Amino acid sequence: MRRKSVIFNSLIGAAALLTSVLVGTSTSQAVADGPLAAYDAAHAGGTLTLVAQAAAGTLDPKVNYTGQYWQIFQATYDGLLSFSYGTGKTTFKVVPDLAEALPALSNGGKTLTFKLRKGIKFSDGKPVTVNDVKASFERIFKVSSPTAGSFYNGIVGATACLAKPATCKLDKGVVVDAAKNTVVINLVAADEAINSKLAVPHAVINPASAPSKDAGTTIIPTTGAYMIKSYNPNKSLILVRNPNFKEWSHDAQPQAYPDEIDYKFGVTPTAQVTAVENNQANWAYDPIPSDRLNEIGTKYAAQVHVNPLTAMWYLPFNVNLAPFNNLKARQAVSYAIDRAAMVKIFGGSQLAAPVCSFLPPNFPGHVDYCGYTKGATPAKPAKAWGAPDLALAKKLVKESGTAGQAVGIVVSDDDVNKQMGVYLQSVLNSIGYKATVKPISGNIQFTYIQNTKNKVQISVTQWYQDYPAASDFLDVLLGCASFTPNSDSSINMAGYCNKALDAKMAKAKALGVTDAVAANKMWGAIDQEVMADAPVAVAFTPKQLDFISSQTKNYIFSYQYKMFVSQLQVK
Amino acid sequence: MLTFIGRRLSAMVFVLISISIMVFLIFFATPGVDPAARIAGRGADQQTLMQVRHSFELDRPLPMRYISMMKHLFVSQDLTSYVNRGAKVIPQLSQAIPATFSLVIGAAIIWLFAGIFFGILAASSKKKWIDPTIGFLGIVGISLPVYWLGEVVNLITQSKLHNSVFKWVPPLGYVGLSVDPWQWFLHLLFPWLTLAVLYAGIYVRVLRNEIMVVMSEDYIKTERAKGASEKRILYKHATRMSLITIVSLFGLDFGALVGGYALLTEVVFGIQGVGKLTFDSLQNFDLPVIMATVMYASFFVVFMNALVDVVYAVLDPRVRRV
Amino acid sequence: MSLKDSSEAVFSESPGKIALRNLRKDKRSIIALSILGFIVGISFSAPLYAHFVAHTNPFQSTLDATISIHGEQKAVLEPSTTGLGLGVTPIGPTWNLGKYFLGADGQGRDVMARLLYGGRSTLLIGTTAGLLCIFLSLLIGIIAGYRRGWVDAVLSRLLDIIWAFPVYLLAISLSVVLLTSGLTIGFIHVGPGSFALPIFIIGIVYIPYVARPIRAQVLALREREFVRAAVGTGAKSSTIILREILPNIMPSVLVFIPIIVSLSMLTESALSFLSIGVQPPAASWGTIINEGLGLLYTRPIVGIAPGLMIVLTAAALNLYGDAVRDALDPKTRARGD
Repeated sequence: MRRKSVIFNSLIGAAALLTSVLVGTSTSQAVADGPLAAYDAAHAGGTLTLVAQAAAGTLDPKVNYTGQYWQIFQATYDGLLSFSYGTGKTTFKVVPDLAEALPALSNGGKTLTFKLRKGIKFSDGKPVTVNDVKASFERIFKVSSPTAGSFYNGIVGATACLAKPATCKLDKGVVVDAAKNTVVINLVAADEAINSKLAVPHAVINPASAPSKDAGTTIIPTTGAYMIKSYNPNKSLILVRNPNFKEWSHDAQPQAYPDEIDYKFGVTPTAQVTAVENNQANWAYDPIPSDRLNEIGTKYAAQVHVNPLTAMWYLPFNVNLAPFNNLKARQAVSYAIDRAAMVKIFGGSQLAAPVCSFLPPNFPGHVDYCGYTKGATPAKPAKAWGAPDLALAKKLVKESGTAGQAVGIVVSDDDVNKQMGVYLQSVLNSIGYKATVKPISGNIQFTYIQNTKNKVQISVTQWYQDYPAASDFLDVLLGCASFTPNSDSSINMAGYCNKALDAKMAKAKALGVTDAVAANKMWGAIDQEVMADAPVAVAFTPKQLDFISSQTKNYIFSYQYKMFVSQLQVK
Repeated sequence: MLTFIGRRLSAMVFVLISISIMVFLIFFATPGVDPAARIAGRGADQQTLMQVRHSFELDRPLPMRYISMMKHLFVSQDLTSYVNRGAKVIPQLSQAIPATFSLVIGAAIIWLFAGIFFGILAASSKKKWIDPTIGFLGIVGISLPVYWLGEVVNLITQSKLHNSVFKWVPPLGYVGLSVDPWQWFLHLLFPWLTLAVLYAGIYVRVLRNEIMVVMSEDYIKTERAKGASEKRILYKHATRMSLITIVSLFGLDFGALVGGYALLTEVVFGIQGVGKLTFDSLQNFDLPVIMATVMYASFFVVFMNALVDVVYAVLDPRVRRV
Repeated sequence: MSLKDSSEAVFSESPGKIALRNLRKDKRSIIALSILGFIVGISFSAPLYAHFVAHTNPFQSTLDATISIHGEQKAVLEPSTTGLGLGVTPIGPTWNLGKYFLGADGQGRDVMARLLYGGRSTLLIGTTAGLLCIFLSLLIGIIAGYRRGWVDAVLSRLLDIIWAFPVYLLAISLSVVLLTSGLTIGFIHVGPGSFALPIFIIGIVYIPYVARPIRAQVLALREREFVRAAVGTGAKSSTIILREILPNIMPSVLVFIPIIVSLSMLTESALSFLSIGVQPPAASWGTIINEGLGLLYTRPIVGIAPGLMIVLTAAALNLYGDAVRDALDPKTRARGD
């Protein structure tokens, strides 16, 4: 593994001498798909210090729904399945973790049979049993996990559990046999993404004795390489080696390198950069402030890692409210936005790439196309986005009869988002609207723009994948089921509900159970069909920039959880 | 006298209750602050959302919610955050207090020394240029926006000159006095100076003017006529008289700063004190923490106000009738 | 000035006229007024500067603009070309009044033009809020001090509440309300982007600061012979307040004005710094500092220039305040003069 990392770093160093266009390609393609290298005990030990502006809320793996902690949970908790360690696209693969193998499917994909590994213990010394597995699935509902109703509602008995979580029993949905050490999960219908859903942190196995409500800051025993020593959301999260951990699968939960991980909170982004530069911290969580980018890209180039993310920045239009209840108005904005300018605000072409497709590059089902660029139409798309078409946009606004209407742009009040808002305002004004920017606290903007009561016309937001499946973008963000008027939890911000398309998505999902390749092709077609309707305008796909200190080695990027924290070496 | 103190105390309680009710009402009148969806997580099911709302008692009527929150804050003292679920609010506050006290006490020592020294110097120096110079510096001091000064100080000490003159300056943040006294001092040095500039400016100006006023009083003129030396008049009468003003001013400033008015300084220098906690909770719309910090802050402010009033009443009985 | 001058003047002039004359002779007031005049002048000529000198619209994003410097075409927002090529840096000061004198901000807008426009907002908000504060304080202070009893008790508690109330909570909440739906109180509608919000918030924050001393003065005046005498003759309260009380508290009110206006400006910039004051794309010195913080390491001038403007203006106001105070009450005059 170390050898690979050296190659990776020297590639970046060499690339620094090349033109900027080449850098992006070499950093993102430097690592081939493959397994994780063998453990090198010589580099074990030491304390890894991570710094962030703020903690990410509850430490309960069944409730926390943030990338910040999912990255940490990968090294602490295990499910029956998990996303693989490794390099390149391998990290999108689901592998058996606490289960001995991937589930045996029967009953038309509705029954999944697992065999639990023997001899694995929780960090408190108690063995992991099939009863813990059953309790863990019931716990998803008892703690009101955010995905209880979206990922796990297909388990038999889930409907009753959703309605009355306190008394949740999944006797028919999760059938366990202590003697044979087996777990059988029964689904109402076959689910193409069930393996991914069982691999994310919300499905990890906790002791049956874990609290039946959100554990918050109290600590739940772990199975992974680390256990949690202490957690204070205003100060720090301390992880130490789990004394009962023995590596059972190098792919699912490999032995870790640092003895301790100190995650410190309350450090401003710019102070994080300074701390990493001065070797006072190993890694900075928050996005690097734009005025520090050039500095780290030149003086500390060897410590910078840029990797593509399967994510997007996009502008949901409210399709039920003027002026964007008019297709031409939505298309006008899609043509008018200069995606290159937005990339510039984000930090330049090395950190993001303009796109117009809904499914991001590198994602299952993605097709390179752009219907909203100069010289293209949704029916006759170009291969990639080239330039905005302001003339066409103005024409469309005129034709739509919405010219002169007032438009409010609701954005988060952090620096980058606010700049995006100010830029959009400028664009909307130039094509004939009377636009205002409404920057509101980043902590409420995401739920605010979901609620139809707030009458948001257009906003700027982001979506990061939960697991690699086209349905996690298209169905989740634009499906009819995701639209609930008057609710803060209505992730389909556009309020877009197209029954015909919904049926197609259901078909694609069903097809995915048996034929993933054909299903992804179908998703690609759905993508283009949706974007012709322009319920949202996709702006660009961001890249992940990790800045590590000069003493930190063995950086490996995972598409699923970003950097592997447990594999960093500080010795 | 006792009835006066009693009246002051009950007025204090009244003010605190009014503030807590206003904070509560303003919070829930703000659109989009309902924490349920944020706690429930993105894309949460409607049933899940309702369960979360119920678990935070957000489905109860406002007055019940208010009473319950006050009970959790003051009686059972187990109020928990809306954002970091399970994180108790009172320990968060008590952990933040030492940082704020360290910042404010250190800065106060600096500004008191600087203020008194330069204030007396300005009022007494024989050299013609000293008074206007100090007056000018005082005016600059009170005209500097503290957050801007802090950012400029950071720019210089953390970046521009960090590799030369200011190599010894530690990263932003706070280190406890009991953890490492030397690091505690180094971390706080620039925050102290930044915060002290404004108050030193105020105190220099107040003290100088007070001394000037006292010096022109009739009884000083009598002293002077009796042949007392200028120095003796200055220290024995003028300074002593004007220090009374300084002490009461200091009471109010200290109360306000300890209560969280050092918010901007704490935010700019990343010191995790009460001000930073207030700021973060406001950014997060975390009502339980907002409520706790606001109660704490208003207590200090109101208490210091009342204390100054009582001290005045002791000194001047006429005030009591008012 | 010598004692002789003023003692002679007493017989022929009112105290107000003497003060005015003192003020006119004071070097500090001349310096302060010329600085203030200069700042107000350039700030209010912002549109002229933007239109005729810089030829730019400081509220329009120009992320892809280019300019020519010494015949060389340069992007206003230059993507980095060194190292990994990370980041985009706005053009720095050209020191050429015609284009980007102080450089560009993150949106490619002319910082100098925005600085002038920002001055307009800050001065406008600071002055209006300051005067509003003085007016309300006078009202509260006089009523509390004159009526005494329960009216005084209620108003004093109100002042306590304002003093101890978390301003930032009020500001943040109100700005969310305003930004999202606008605020309607009776027939007054305050829309998003209006200056009314910062003016209103800043206007009430410092009321206790001014109202308390006014109340104390009125309380003391109430006990004085000439007020008692006026009350005894059965004159109307309003007449007594206007004829006897107001003229006697006016000197301290006058002293407060420059100080409060300067404080209001500082508060405006602090609120904008916390992004709860003036809303984009409008500018105030505080918002420019806030935007400049994002460029502190590459283009520090964007954050430093408006800060210096605030210091200069506040210092001039305070200097003027000193001069006014000394003119009204010469005891504290600097002995050098």
